[in-house]
Amino acid sequence: MAAGDDSLLVRAASMLQQESAGVAELRSVLEALLGRCHDQQRLLDRVTRLSDGYQRAERERGHDHLKHYLRELRRVEKIVRISDRYQVMLQEMNGRLVSMANTDALTGLANRRFACEELESRINLVQRNNGSLCVALADIDRFKQVNDSFGHAAGDKAIKLIADTLQAGLRDYDLCARWGGEEFLILLSFSRLDDAGQLLERLRLAIESMVFGVAETTLPLSISIGVSEYRSGEASFEVLKRADEALYLAKNAGRNTVCSL
Amino acid sequence: MNDLNIAATSNTPGIKACRATGRVSLSGDSYPENSFEFFQPLIHWLENYLTQEKQPLTMELSLAYLNTSSVRVMMDLLDMLEEAFGKGIDVSLIWFYEAGNERVAELAEEFKEDCTFPYLVTPGPA
Repeated sequence: MAAGDDSLLVRAASMLQQESAGVAELRSVLEALLGRCHDQQRLLDRVTRLSDGYQRAERERGHDHLKHYLRELRRVEKIVRISDRYQVMLQEMNGRLVSMANTDALTGLANRRFACEELESRINLVQRNNGSLCVALADIDRFKQVNDSFGHAAGDKAIKLIADTLQAGLRDYDLCARWGGEEFLILLSFSRLDDAGQLLERLRLAIESMVFGVAETTLPLSISIGVSEYRSGEASFEVLKRADEALYLAKNAGRNTVCSL
Repeated sequence: MNDLNIAATSNTPGIKACRATGRVSLSGDSYPENSFEFFQPLIHWLENYLTQEKQPLTMELSLAYLNTSSVRVMMDLLDMLEEAFGKGIDVSLIWFYEAGNERVAELAEEFKEDCTFPYLVTPGPA
């Protein structure tokens, strides 16, 4: 409170104590005090209004910040969402490429590249578990005649039909791959030579009894098979070599037969 | 204001921008080492075109894969088009995808979410 206000208060208090003080004089001092009081009230109202205004502005600024923050958050979420979907797309594409790299386009069987990897992997498994594995090579008999007489389209059809028949006759854990033109590699896990021979004989019979229609006629198809059992410690090429020699024996024995070594 | 003609590489899209036709096209995959740097010329070109020329603009996208920072840049580009559209400039976008590759179509639709300007997702020229 200003010094003037103090003196007004002192004068008013002193007059109220003095009975001789005149009413008019007392009234003028009280009116001056009342006027001062109104001034203070107006000042207080103004300060309150300004303060409310600042608080409102701050609140709005806070809202703006919040809105901005929420907008940015939504944007980041969208970027992450879209980016995640692109990653999924990329993974699917990679999966398709891997599958294509391992698959023979004509037959849908595993290709030679995958079969080689699988042979090594299964040999490792046999070595670790002291298990058994038989490796067979199957070759379509007189395939050249099919191609020469009826064209490559008919030859492809024969390869596909035989591939389907071989695949259908195998167990889930066996593998049939296209090894070369008309040659297939068959890996028979958990099988000794006798069991493998029986299974391969069933496959040979299934193919012998197939009906292969081409150019309004039917052609007899058959396969020769050579099979060998993996021997502990040997390399993959050694068992493959024996299977190939067994196949040679089957061909020399008149074809359409299964030989083992 | 020069036209843009940036050749595609294995990890960056080809970019063409023509002032005379108002046609901007991006095609290929986009996973540059620095997306913001790579797309800077295009962003600069668009800023100039949209503020100075104020002529119709058509953006044609044939983008298959975008990495995360390219996604961010793409959203910035769409924001620029949206802002220009809000100011009355005739902008439109066509997002082409390889027929059968519905994933890309779905992603193009996802980008579309906040856009009010003409935006078409269609199987289109390879």
